Amino acid sequence: MSLYSICDSIENIGIFTYVRETPWVYPIILSGHLICIAVFGGMILMTDLRLLGVGLKDKTVAEVVGGLRPFKRIGFVVMVTCGLLLAGSEATQYYQNPYFWTKMTLLVLVGVHALVFKPTVYDHPEELDKSPVLPARAKAAAVLSLILWVSIPVCGRLIAYYEPEKDKAPQTAARHSDSTPVK
Amino acid sequence: MIPLAFLQANPLGDVLNNTEWAFPLAECFHIVFFAVAIGSIMMVDLRLLGLAFQRLSPAELVRDTWVYTLVGLVVTVTAGMALFVSDPRMYLFDRWFRIKVALLLAAILYNYTVHSKVAMAGSSKAVGAIVGAISVLLWISVVAGGVFVSLMLI
Repeated sequence: MSLYSICDSIENIGIFTYVRETPWVYPIILSGHLICIAVFGGMILMTDLRLLGVGLKDKTVAEVVGGLRPFKRIGFVVMVTCGLLLAGSEATQYYQNPYFWTKMTLLVLVGVHALVFKPTVYDHPEELDKSPVLPARAKAAAVLSLILWVSIPVCGRLIAYYEPEKDKAPQTAARHSDSTPVK
Repeated sequence: MIPLAFLQANPLGDVLNNTEWAFPLAECFHIVFFAVAIGSIMMVDLRLLGLAFQRLSPAELVRDTWVYTLVGLVVTVTAGMALFVSDPRMYLFDRWFRIKVALLLAAILYNYTVHSKVAMAGSSKAVGAIVGAISVLLWISVVAGGVFVSLMLI
């Protein structure tokens, strides 16, 4: 079973076929994805600026981190759901797209970032407020978060620009069918 | 009125159309900075809606976020104009582009009049919630309009 055939099966699951083939569904889900970027992505950047001590300095870290947390979580879930629907509906296109895989790798790194910095930074914002200067680990978390969360939408946008080698998958399929009569 | 033919033949448009990277680069700036602009506006909206930052006043949040909103909007609109000049004729006659620009102008106007006035002056909870909700809806529809433009839907 090749990766192509797996992606082909995914793409033909009812919900993904529906997203791909029903008028307006794909644009509406893509809009949902982008709206989450605006709402949730913007809030991540604001949190990072606070952790760096650059922005929202009148507010405590606890206020900013705590205040935005539930909304960032909701935004993340909706964003990923929309993203899965979009990617699944074009799985055979996406699996050969290097920007897609770069984006997935960056999302894994977001998970690593959370594992590393959640216990030390994000779970104890009050402690960051108590210390006279923001500790280096908070700034490191913010810088890495900024890099990750700027790169992810950039990769997402670039997915649309990758042109696969023309008809790569059908060619592979054709090669199989060519070889069948020889057998 | 700038003649359409001149706009269509502008040198910036040539760069955007004849290099591989310029158009996507402008798009990336457009996306990252609309997140900054709208995310910072949403922080005020969440407060107006009574959903977050209850201990802070809406005015305090505006004072903290206005600079990010402004920088975000300026960069987003500048990048958007660059995208526009790549093919002004196509965009000007695109239905979704017109709808999107109308929504954007309404959203900006609203943000710097009603929205900031209510947030700065303080208001009843109900008025704040309505003003915040309209802001959320306006900005969400601007983003959706942009997606519809980018997909070149008819």
